[in-house]
Amino acid sequence: MINPSQCNHDDSMPGANPFAMQEEGTVVEISTMAENTYRLRVKAPGIAGKITPGQFFMIRPSEGYDPLLGRPLALFDVYEEDGRKVGFDFGIVVVGKLTSLMANWAAGTKVELWGPLGNGFPLPECKHLMMIAGGIGQTPFLAVSREALGLCSYGNGERNLKTKPEKMTLCYGARNKKYLAGLDLFKMDGLDVEVATDDGSEGHHGFVTGLLEKSIIKGNKPDVVYCCGPEPMMKAVAKICLDENIPCLLSLETTMACGFGACFSCVTKVKEDDGGWDYRRTCVEGPVFEAEKLIL
Amino acid sequence: MTENGTKSRLKAKLRRLEFKNPILVASGTFGYAKEMSAFVDFNKLGGIIPKTITPLPRTGNDPPRTIETSSGLLNSIGLDNDGIDEFLKKHIEYLLSLGTSIIVNIAGKNIDEYCSLAEKLNQVEGIAGLELNVSCPNVSGGVDFGTNPESTAKVVSKVVNSCDLPIITKLTPNVTSVIPQAQAAADAGTDAVSLVNTFQGIVIDWKKRKPVLGGKFGGLSGPAIKPLALRIVTQVSKAVDVPIIGVGGISTIDDVMEYLVAGASAVQIGTANFYNPGVASNLVDQLEQILDEENCSHYSELVGTLQL
Repeated sequence: MINPSQCNHDDSMPGANPFAMQEEGTVVEISTMAENTYRLRVKAPGIAGKITPGQFFMIRPSEGYDPLLGRPLALFDVYEEDGRKVGFDFGIVVVGKLTSLMANWAAGTKVELWGPLGNGFPLPECKHLMMIAGGIGQTPFLAVSREALGLCSYGNGERNLKTKPEKMTLCYGARNKKYLAGLDLFKMDGLDVEVATDDGSEGHHGFVTGLLEKSIIKGNKPDVVYCCGPEPMMKAVAKICLDENIPCLLSLETTMACGFGACFSCVTKVKEDDGGWDYRRTCVEGPVFEAEKLIL
Repeated sequence: MTENGTKSRLKAKLRRLEFKNPILVASGTFGYAKEMSAFVDFNKLGGIIPKTITPLPRTGNDPPRTIETSSGLLNSIGLDNDGIDEFLKKHIEYLLSLGTSIIVNIAGKNIDEYCSLAEKLNQVEGIAGLELNVSCPNVSGGVDFGTNPESTAKVVSKVVNSCDLPIITKLTPNVTSVIPQAQAAADAGTDAVSLVNTFQGIVIDWKKRKPVLGGKFGGLSGPAIKPLALRIVTQVSKAVDVPIIGVGGISTIDDVMEYLVAGASAVQIGTANFYNPGVASNLVDQLEQILDEENCSHYSELVGTLQL
């Protein structure tokens, strides 16, 4: 007989979410950020006290089966009451059944939440951090910026940035200016915000990648790029960064059913040491990945 | 009620299988348990059935692998797993430390593969039983053993003879009637049948003229299939003398009770683990309360009490 405790046990496979919890939250308020884009605030002290920038949580209505699954959403910001983190904000774009419902949630609505989930963005130990966002992908960068500038701390207080980046830039692209969401919130000392729109209605006329290219040409090459947005945009950013030898972290948005590693839905191709690739779960191994490790 | 008394009235016995209670979690919906550790009190569960293991690693199907439907979930994961050797290396020790019965779900492309998996697992101390996945709709290249009684009988009897472990046979609903396969599995010596695996379906993006899932077709699960699965449990329970483990769309204690009354001696919680990750251990507490309300000294008094 094989005694399992004497097996050559290997715990290298990720999966446990040691800080995650399931919690019933309450919708506190909802506000319009841009066309079809809303900011929601929920009270959920358990998750609020643990979640860090770039991590996500799952949310669904407390009642009913349609919609059925939770939706993964990124942390926008945490809010406090009496000096204690009690809830958090997130942004949504109305695209489907659940987001349509969410846009109409009244204050007091009960919601089921589980999180915090996934690996967020690391603290930026670099001179020039550039955050590149498209669509609703700017949301994680509010908390990233506040934390890096020392304006706010997230999680259990164990994250301490040794040196603040000397320069931080947010490059934010949208279809047109109607879709630029929460720009005023990013107005903080120490953060340069540059905008690109596909139709030129605001900022650079063209894709957000143009802002990165311009910056490189001008000699303002960032040391590190964090990126979140639609896949074609992230692919383009990753390519520029790889060509320019800039470390680049991408936060992937893949379809998830559970958010915590049980369903094996949200897989993405990750390079293996042997030159091949394997499907890995975005929820537990990401959603933030080093661009060079992905096959996009 | 003493603690022992409480425990004994939930104790489930299905031929050679014994569980501390009849609430198990279904294969493919609970990862390798580690993923659920933040949400579930494992020790409370009747049993855990980790994701299907195959002899060799399988990459699984191309994404998208899941798509939500009305009150349902269509999946084509494609048995993404690292194979039996990695399973024994990475997961079995952890699983067997959780204080609940571990049923290992296995799938092979032919009878020899099922038997060699069974022989390997038979060597591991502490496994409570095997569940034969003869019904995954997402695996091309393999034989779907669960679609006819002859092949079901063959694979079950060979596995029963190749190991000492109790055997559960998980059957497919994608047949005219599940009764012949359930009868065949019973005759071949299965200790129980799990009814049912997912219902084959497709979601179409008509504008692209393409299926949405990478695997094209998928298996439907979730609340949407509960009446369908319950119908099969009811019919098999009346027709075949074999313990039934009901599975399909269970997310509340009322769902559990419906399956028990229909004739299931135990149940598996599946898709609900995805959208309410703490649900399984909560249901065990709720089952206790129901037994109090119904004045039952053992849950089995309720099994198969449906009046048709």
